[in-house]
Amino acid sequence: MDMEALIVQLRRLQETALAKLTEISATRDLTNWRVQYLGKKSELNALSKQMGSLGQEERPLFGERVNEVRKAFEDAYLERQTALAAAEQALRLAQETIDITLPGRAIGRGAIHPISRVIQEIENIFLGMGFSIVDGPEIETDHYNFELLNLPKDHPARDMQDTFYLSDELLLRTHTSPMQVRTMERMQGDIPIKVIVPGRVYRRDEDDATHSHQFTQIEGLVVGEGIRMSDLKGTLESFAKALFGPEQRVRLRPSYFPFTEPSAEVDLLCVHCHGEGCRVCKGTGWIEILGAGMVHPRVLDMSGYDSTRYSGFAFGMGPERIAMLRYGISDIRLLYQNDLRFLAQFARA
Amino acid sequence: MKVSYQWLREYVDLADLSPEALADKLTSAGLAVDAVEPRNKGVSGVVVGEIVSARQHPDADRLRVCMVNVGTGEPLQIVCGASNANPGLRVPVALPGATLPGGVQIRRTTLRGVESNGMLCSAAEIGLETRLLPSAQATGLFVLPEETPIGEDIVKVLCLDDVVLDIDLTPNRSDCFSIRGLVHEVAAILRSGHSFPEHIEAPKGVGESPIAIDLATERCPRYEAQVLDGINQTSSPLWMQMRLMAMGIRTIDLVVDVTNYVMLEWGQPLHAFDADSIAQSQIVVRQAHDGEELVTLDGQKRTLTRDMIVISDPEKAIGLAGVMGGENSEITASTRRIALESARFDGSSVRRTGQRLGLRSEAQQRFEKGVDPAAISPALARATALLVELGGARPIGPSVAVHQERQAGDSRQVPFVPEQCREALGFAISNDEMEAIFHALGFGVHRQEDKWLVEVPSRRADVALTADLYEEIARLHGYDNIPSTVTVLPVTPGMRDRRQAMLAKARDLLVNMGMFEVRTYALTSPDALAPLSSPYRPIPLLLPMSDERRVLRTHLLPSLAEVAVHNLAHQVSGGAIFEIGKSYLTSELPLCAQPQEREVIAMLWFGETEGTLYEKARRYDFYDAKGVLENLLAALGADASYVRSAIPWLHPGRSADVVASGETIGVVGELHPETAKAFGIDRAIYAEIDVASLLATRESDMQAKALPKFPGSRRDIAIVVDRETLVGDLLRTVNKRLATSGLLQDLKAFDVYVGEGVPEGKKSVAITMFFQDAERTLTDDEIEQLVATAIDALHVNHNAQLRS
Repeated sequence: MDMEALIVQLRRLQETALAKLTEISATRDLTNWRVQYLGKKSELNALSKQMGSLGQEERPLFGERVNEVRKAFEDAYLERQTALAAAEQALRLAQETIDITLPGRAIGRGAIHPISRVIQEIENIFLGMGFSIVDGPEIETDHYNFELLNLPKDHPARDMQDTFYLSDELLLRTHTSPMQVRTMERMQGDIPIKVIVPGRVYRRDEDDATHSHQFTQIEGLVVGEGIRMSDLKGTLESFAKALFGPEQRVRLRPSYFPFTEPSAEVDLLCVHCHGEGCRVCKGTGWIEILGAGMVHPRVLDMSGYDSTRYSGFAFGMGPERIAMLRYGISDIRLLYQNDLRFLAQFARA
Repeated sequence: MKVSYQWLREYVDLADLSPEALADKLTSAGLAVDAVEPRNKGVSGVVVGEIVSARQHPDADRLRVCMVNVGTGEPLQIVCGASNANPGLRVPVALPGATLPGGVQIRRTTLRGVESNGMLCSAAEIGLETRLLPSAQATGLFVLPEETPIGEDIVKVLCLDDVVLDIDLTPNRSDCFSIRGLVHEVAAILRSGHSFPEHIEAPKGVGESPIAIDLATERCPRYEAQVLDGINQTSSPLWMQMRLMAMGIRTIDLVVDVTNYVMLEWGQPLHAFDADSIAQSQIVVRQAHDGEELVTLDGQKRTLTRDMIVISDPEKAIGLAGVMGGENSEITASTRRIALESARFDGSSVRRTGQRLGLRSEAQQRFEKGVDPAAISPALARATALLVELGGARPIGPSVAVHQERQAGDSRQVPFVPEQCREALGFAISNDEMEAIFHALGFGVHRQEDKWLVEVPSRRADVALTADLYEEIARLHGYDNIPSTVTVLPVTPGMRDRRQAMLAKARDLLVNMGMFEVRTYALTSPDALAPLSSPYRPIPLLLPMSDERRVLRTHLLPSLAEVAVHNLAHQVSGGAIFEIGKSYLTSELPLCAQPQEREVIAMLWFGETEGTLYEKARRYDFYDAKGVLENLLAALGADASYVRSAIPWLHPGRSADVVASGETIGVVGELHPETAKAFGIDRAIYAEIDVASLLATRESDMQAKALPKFPGSRRDIAIVVDRETLVGDLLRTVNKRLATSGLLQDLKAFDVYVGEGVPEGKKSVAITMFFQDAERTLTDDEIEQLVATAIDALHVNHNAQLRS
């Protein structure tokens, strides 16, 4: 055989094989192609074996050609294999397509009650200011609920009709304020006292859109030396900004509580109109959120803190009112009805 | 407290301060004004007219045709339907073009063929509150006094240009329960003077007073009386009626109106009664006798108790001090001489008496809050003068006054250190400014270097301590002027205690397991608690408001069941709820001491799960609840086990006590069908964990162990046991038997099977065990040995057969 003829055969083989390869679209056919054109019994191998019939100088040249063709086959094979695999995978993935708009497998999520939510939020603000949280009994004595708070029997601010009595001396606490006295007694003269007291309280009110015979309060108490009324305002202002945003301001109005002197009602800028005046704030731009004041000297003295040396402030607020303002709830009874359709609206973490 | 703007203005210069501006200033000073209401409800163009003649309307039985003189020359013809449209009466006349309350426009019109040039008005038609008028004036035309000038604008005649401020007085400011107190307050706020007199000179009667007074109880510190005769029992003048009305007081007759008027003006209640009804002309103020009877002015026979104060004579009670007079001393048309009483009675006595008898008058409220001793005499003098002036009365002798040996002084001195006041309030204010505030309040100031004595008049009973003076300074300086400062205090760690932190975690965990937190009422009914057969009797309220809420709950289940019932009735197919709440337990009733308040995490699963694409809706069952509990308790660090519960209100086969560290800390179980039925629900699972017990059994901090270096081996076995055998018992047996080896690292059941291939009455349980040694790899022989030991123990203890 002369080399020319062999090289022609080689070229023809190359053309045929590569043309066939382009037609292959299944992995099985590709394997067959590989056996046919790159296997032991392949035409290429047969051609290369004819190298022996060539002259000494021609052999390396021909060998080089054969290797070129083999390399071309292998490269083409690999390329084709990759392309086929990709196509097959694409097909498989297409077949695996699912409806991603269907819901995920439910990991049931409930909701914290809106009142608890507000209480937790307020607790966290005061914890950050170094307050601790104390809890107290809901069934109180007349002594702690009234007398030690400067509300002796027959005090005009004390109305039997407002209180659920269980006996002459025991009652459902009407406010969280008794814990002011209990805390001071427990602290036995130590300072500083910085506590808040969240808890359930009870009043003899008919339940309606704005009244509930059971509700919650958060009491606050700070006692130390040199505590001023301006500190009360500053503390509540920090609190208001933390709860309702940095643009908040507080306004104090003189008021009366038997266990604080001076006493104040504390207004915040209306959370709806930010002071413009709207339906929620009855056009005043302010909403009443807290009652507060300087701890009455008699209460300090009765609780073992010399009022000529120590001073302090106390405040109280209603989580229901804050929840109603914040979440736009117009009827307090919704908070105690526990309708899951209502509660589910508070599922956000 | 309703107050007339014009009445205030009589004593204090309000300059051009509008009622609204005054209201703002009062509110800023602590006297919250709830409403500012003009007396004129929309009346204009109404004048005084006199009915000259009235004849029957030719075509209408009920109408009359009146000729009315309104001072404009020719009388106007006006058709009127009122039955009292009689000639000679002076009445309000709405002229054509007039406006009446509610926007009613009056026009010239023709009524059944007769021309009518306006309208004759009743009290209601010109916006007067008829409930505050004598019944004769409440219906028909509003009849004006004979001397009322014809043609005068009715707004002027009836003082309708007045404005009423409704002040929500705090209980400490009883001094502002009067024009006098409010005049002082407004003058202090405005720093203007006022002309309210401190003393009144009463017209002196001739001779001696015909009565004597005996103070036989300590609860009346001072009692004064003036006797008058010759009084013309008429009605009070229109201006007085209108002022009373503006302040919400009903008009009766001259004597009663004068006592009320002076009460409003001075804050001192007065009482007038028939002086001739006093036997032996001797007034005795004393405690009532138990069982003593008195018919009060309202005709009710009252049985008195010894803690009530009565006004009496040597023979009988004639009045309940501060609360209501007696019928036997009532002033009638035949009364010749009247006695006017001005006194101070103990506030709590008056309050108790009123409460017991169900009475609450204006006078009573003022006594309860405390009246000013310095007002007793001037108020009596003022009333005497008014009765002399308006009713032609003649005082008999001077007033008689008696008082206890010790009686409240006219003023008290309160120490005050300006520097301390500045420190307490936290703002700068000069000494002179403070002194000016005290003077504006009518307080005296004795400055002695840096220590002052402030002289507070008796009308301000609420100012007794130095701190009270601080409040006066703060509120009149303006709370708005208080700066915001930060408390300078030692740093304190702000953190939740163990219980609070645990409950906060529990709440989050439960919510993340799909449960909804609820908050329910602690008050319930005995009926609601009945299905639970609790050993505790619920604590009742002394004065419940309703049957549904009259005892404190001894358990949370009824509250949660109520929530389930509500939801199931409102298109909610089911749910998982929890409450962190209390029940209230006592072993003794009536209650003598604070009872136990038991805090629990109570949970309820009711109805169906919410169906999804992946799992159909199904009813909640025991294992839903147990899964949540296991997860919760593991997260909170309690190692709990579950043993069959004997609680009668739970399903006997589907309930378990939750035990940790040998203590029962809770319970989980399906409600007994009878319990569920009693609560009105179909099926529900309840679980409860006692917070204190959980807190006590929680394990200490977690300890980390190094990871094993040598592989372990897992072996599964399947055994056949009696159906009743508890899987938990099987596992406990294996655990116990292999405990000493220290090699069993994991043990659980992974399949329970009943059916084909398992004999009747038996079940197959598949158990997986994982063995591992920290020091070496275990040999197959060793592992087979351990498995054989386990199977042997299961056989011995539970008659278990290895399933082939």
